[in-house]
Amino acid sequence: MFSLKPPRPSFRSYLLPPAQTDDNINSQPKIKKLEPVLLPGEIVVNEVNFVRKCIATDTSQYDLWGKLICSNFKISFITDDPMPLQKFHYRNLLLGEHDVPLTCVEQIVTVNDHKRKQKVLGPNQKLKFNPTELIIYCKDFRIVRFRFDESGPESAKKVCLAIAHYSQPTDLQLLFAFEYVGKKYHNSANKINGVSSEGGGRGGIGAGSGTTSQKTPLFETYSDWDREIKRTGASGWRVCSINEGYMISTCLPEYFVVPSSLADQDLKSFSHSFVGRRMPLWCWNHSNGSALVRMALIKDVLQQRRIDQRICNAITKSHPQRNDVYKLDLEKTLPNIQEIQAAFVKLKQLCVNEPFEETEEKWLSSLENTRWLEYVRAFLKHSAEVVYMLESKHLSVVLQEEEGRDLSCLVASLVQVMLDAYFRTITGFQSLIQKEWVMAGYQFLDRCNHLKKSEKESPLFLLFLDATWQLLEQYPAAFEFSETYLTVLYDSTRISLFGTFLFNSPHQRVKQSTEFAISKNIQLGDEKGLKFPSVWDWSLQFTAKDRTLFHNPFYVGKSMPCVQNGSVKSFKRTKKSYSSTLRGMPSSLKNGVIGDQELPPRRNSPILKHKPDPLQHTDSHNSDMEQYFREWFSKPADLHGVILPCLSGAHIKLWKLCYFRWVPEAQIHLGGSITAFHKLSLLVDEVDTLSRMLRQQRSSPLEACYAELDQSRMYFRAQGPHSTSGTPEFLSSSFPFSPVGNLCRRSILGTPLSKFLSGAKIWISTETLANED
Amino acid sequence: MASASTKYNSHSLENESIKRTSRDGLNRDLSETVPRLPGETLITDKEVIYICPFNGPIKGRVYITNYRLYLRSLETDSALILDVPLGVISRIEKMGGATSRGENSYGLDITCKVCGDQVECGCRCVLHFCHRFGDLLPDMRNLRFALKQEGHSRRDMFETLTRHAFPLAHSLPLFAFLNEEKFHVDGWTVYNPVEEYRRQGLPNHHWRITFINKCYELCDTYPALLVVPYRASDEDLRRVAIFRSRNRIPVLSWIHPENKTVIMRCSQPLVGMSGKRNKDDEKYLDLIRETNRQISKLTIYDARPSVNAVANKATGGGYESDDAYHNAELSFLDIHNIHVMRESLKKVKDIVYPNVEESHWLSSLESTHWLEHIKLVLTGAIQVADKVSSGKSSVLVHCSDGWDRTAQLTSLAMLMLDSFYRSIEGFEILVQKEWISFGHKFGSRIGHGDKNHADADRSPIFLQFIDCVWQMSKQFPTAFEFNERFLIAILDHLYSCRFGTFLFNCESARERQKVPERTVSLWSMINSNKDKFKNPFYTKEINRVLYPVASMRHLELWVNYYIRWNPRIKQQQPNPVEQRYMELLALRDDYIKRLEELQLANSAKLSDPPTSPSQMMPHVQTHF
Repeated sequence: MFSLKPPRPSFRSYLLPPAQTDDNINSQPKIKKLEPVLLPGEIVVNEVNFVRKCIATDTSQYDLWGKLICSNFKISFITDDPMPLQKFHYRNLLLGEHDVPLTCVEQIVTVNDHKRKQKVLGPNQKLKFNPTELIIYCKDFRIVRFRFDESGPESAKKVCLAIAHYSQPTDLQLLFAFEYVGKKYHNSANKINGVSSEGGGRGGIGAGSGTTSQKTPLFETYSDWDREIKRTGASGWRVCSINEGYMISTCLPEYFVVPSSLADQDLKSFSHSFVGRRMPLWCWNHSNGSALVRMALIKDVLQQRRIDQRICNAITKSHPQRNDVYKLDLEKTLPNIQEIQAAFVKLKQLCVNEPFEETEEKWLSSLENTRWLEYVRAFLKHSAEVVYMLESKHLSVVLQEEEGRDLSCLVASLVQVMLDAYFRTITGFQSLIQKEWVMAGYQFLDRCNHLKKSEKESPLFLLFLDATWQLLEQYPAAFEFSETYLTVLYDSTRISLFGTFLFNSPHQRVKQSTEFAISKNIQLGDEKGLKFPSVWDWSLQFTAKDRTLFHNPFYVGKSMPCVQNGSVKSFKRTKKSYSSTLRGMPSSLKNGVIGDQELPPRRNSPILKHKPDPLQHTDSHNSDMEQYFREWFSKPADLHGVILPCLSGAHIKLWKLCYFRWVPEAQIHLGGSITAFHKLSLLVDEVDTLSRMLRQQRSSPLEACYAELDQSRMYFRAQGPHSTSGTPEFLSSSFPFSPVGNLCRRSILGTPLSKFLSGAKIWISTETLANED
Repeated sequence: MASASTKYNSHSLENESIKRTSRDGLNRDLSETVPRLPGETLITDKEVIYICPFNGPIKGRVYITNYRLYLRSLETDSALILDVPLGVISRIEKMGGATSRGENSYGLDITCKVCGDQVECGCRCVLHFCHRFGDLLPDMRNLRFALKQEGHSRRDMFETLTRHAFPLAHSLPLFAFLNEEKFHVDGWTVYNPVEEYRRQGLPNHHWRITFINKCYELCDTYPALLVVPYRASDEDLRRVAIFRSRNRIPVLSWIHPENKTVIMRCSQPLVGMSGKRNKDDEKYLDLIRETNRQISKLTIYDARPSVNAVANKATGGGYESDDAYHNAELSFLDIHNIHVMRESLKKVKDIVYPNVEESHWLSSLESTHWLEHIKLVLTGAIQVADKVSSGKSSVLVHCSDGWDRTAQLTSLAMLMLDSFYRSIEGFEILVQKEWISFGHKFGSRIGHGDKNHADADRSPIFLQFIDCVWQMSKQFPTAFEFNERFLIAILDHLYSCRFGTFLFNCESARERQKVPERTVSLWSMINSNKDKFKNPFYTKEINRVLYPVASMRHLELWVNYYIRWNPRIKQQQPNPVEQRYMELLALRDDYIKRLEELQLANSAKLSDPPTSPSQMMPHVQTHF
């Protein structure tokens, strides 16, 4: 059978968009002789030839022939055959078209159809039969299937076992990032310019677009925190460095922000009472002075009340109006991580369910039963309530949670996305993830389950991206990034190359990588642990051209907010929206300056400070809050100010690009919101070009030359003025992804869509085939 | 998508007067501040308490004209305005008696229609004001007014409302016949059947235009002009008519420009329990098949579920059997009848009124089956379109009478196949042709001016079609020239009785009533304000077949229409995405202008011959 299909003479590119010439990096795949493309430090563990990659389940006519390899980084299928009917492929520079990173593998199933046997492969397991088929279930909802009918039975078995073994490592240091970065360090020792491009959190997305080449603050340093304090005008807060060298807590960052009135000595003594020694961490300040703080529970029962009061007093003191503190116990009001995981598992099952048609009738109630959307909504709702406290009630808010490193990450970051337009830019959003997730000790290793110890797995980060997507969907002009960006960001958590999403805490990175460096004889010098590549260095994954797809053409941008002393431009803009809620307040409060009369009685009154459980006075709160939301919704949204989510059932939607992109039946050919995105991109591009021309016309020749270098922010380029080009052939609702071959299904090719989408139970005619190539 | 703030700007007169009122604010009971269309007269006005489902009782003054019910709040802190065309009223009931106790228990309860019973109908100017004044979007499904118990205030108001909301029951004309609005475009000229068929390349040597129905003698619910196979004589047509329900014989709706396959429409054959056959009908269908020689069989789509089709035999109807029609292949499309659709929409109302069901939104939505019906209709239309386009087979579509489901299927299939119908005028022609001229019983389905709110003939079939179009426009945001506002305007005036477009059941009735001469067409209003109804993302494409994905995964409830009155459903106005596009367009034009000026200035300086912008542009392209 193999001989009937001779290998094609050469690699044929099926990328229809204009050739991508820039950013050639060393991992550019040049397939000859079915050789794998390997990254530094990547080694082939096992391989098998004459493998078929299945494209459809009911026919083998479209199957691809090639070689399947397992490396210490990925499962790679190398073929000369082009993907049938695939019109577009969004290339990740780290991965080939058919590759699956090992950390993206969810489950490995081997099948022998002669013996009618099937086995889910764990690590270090034996396989008593020779597999004829290998099915890989991926964490990103893809399902990939390989057939070994023509391959050597033993080598097929070996590859399957290798994949099972390497995708379920027992130790963190076995993750590929360590080998990769180790190799980089070794290489750099021999070269003059070594790992220069790594490590830095360059938010380099735009191809010279000027605005987005800003560096993403990683919040690893004192100065990043200090700048954030200044940016938000948080006058009552200071950076604290008592955790330098992780002396106090191994799950806190080295630097964090605390009320100015708390001395280091106090903090040190309090720290023992907190779960994980996780003291209150400042997140953000509203321009009205109220602060957002996250805090672990106080485990020391005897000290609980006293410490709690001290902390609350300190937070109150940091508030310019000495306003009270509002405490929100997240665990009482939100689903826990197990429930979220359970919802996600159900959602995944529903989305990949086959046959498609079977889930159609009960689709809506099945979707509801997963509870995923309910949870997305719950987080949005609670975050909006926190926004109300900060913005309308002028109260500082403390988010409380056992350890303060799960639900708190999500709520704290959502609140900031709603309140601060800076976090709706690409750089801002990335810095937010650094601040509230990476540095705050979100346990990426456990929650992403890179080591396959399933009990700790929970998709909180995805839930955050999903909730952000809801806001993006509702306020498309308020975000600098696109949904492609969010989707790709989610996918990046499944690539074990970036230090960003690999560890449970910054300390773990330092500790593990120092150990690793010692074992590999790497000289660290004065560096604290190995510098892993940052996910924010997008050039590692995508060409400059491809990165432009991250830009949202709907974004009504203005010049990026710049850090100034105390206040930021973007905040001045939002003042407008604050003023409405300031109506009715004593005039002394309006400018964020405390009137004298406000001060004394409250300050030392412990009764007032110690807020009762928020649930107790929900009634009055609720009606005020209701009023606040109503008023907000009755006005046009200021896209540079606060945005609040619409929370009705009809407004919380399923993120189709992320969850349906691999499902051929759900793909809208030449349709979906991307077509409007495309159309608008062309116009934005045209406007950009015209504005460049205007500048050129006016400026001296030197500047003109400079202007020439400017490149478009947009992926889709106008072909000239008033270009009326139609929708490109390769666009679909899955764009830039393609479902072909990623989710093995019946008859996905060449069949008219209507075939799958029968509402009618009777199909009489089957002879028609779509005209597409 | 729709921008409510501009949604009703078509009522330019209304808006102006309202703005005037709001500015002075104190202008309480001057009747001239009530918006009035030319030909609209004020009948009465009264002080009432409006029981707002969201904000409780509000004191106001209600004005009743021969076109609308208009209420303005008399409370200083409320800017509430209700503006409801009387045409949307389905039922008026008295609540409470002269002895009723309790506050506001005595008054009127007005139910609005969308499907013969109750509806929201969208409240125009209120939406206009919601921005400025915060809340106060009234529910439009039920309007409750409380009145003073003294005097005959309620009886008077009840009688006035009843007379003018249901003019047909009181021998009064529909408002459309009194409307004296003038527009600079005449919407009645939009659809000219001969021109439309000519656009399709008809007649040709397989198809002819016949005037056999000139005086509606062959079929009183069909248009005067029909396209039939060239080889079928008028005598043949008469004999076929005997065998088709209500004489609605198979006629051409659309012909594929390349493969020449056709979409035909008709009613069910009169097979009956005994399984009658009709040689003329069989021969006629064969003639249709023969006009296209690419495939051996004619495809018949019976829109009904097969059970219903069988059940219809009992009343003399039925479907084409294999025995009688060797060269045809029949499929059922499982679309339910008008009663099922009416009940389904009623359930939609229940989950969105007065509060939008929150905690179990999706399963509640599922239990209405509305989206499932939408899916079936779309799936049916996709099959028709796919058969004609890819299957290269001619298609015959019918249901029972061929004026409800058949109209949905043919018009949606045509919308998928022919990009012309995706333009504003093209869509108007499509509606005018497949719905209005081919006898969709608008009069009965909507019940214009009729007081019988429980009439079983009422059904939201046309609304369902517009919903399907909206679903398509969601999936293909660049494929349609019109925007959501256009679709909503059509639906608003489906009920309003301001225009003659949707009045009466068929062309012959409209001709008898001289509707085109005596009323204004909705298209006059729309086409003279076209910009407002344009989709900025429209990319004109010829010959592209649109296949929407008729899956529950993509179908959505049309929130901006069904729940637009709910203050908790925020609509961003204007649509930020459209707005962004318009801003950029303006910016582009500004830049181009400035560039031209600069170029002119520069070239003048260099005393070169001035470069025209068009010459300059190709140079621009080198930068791309």
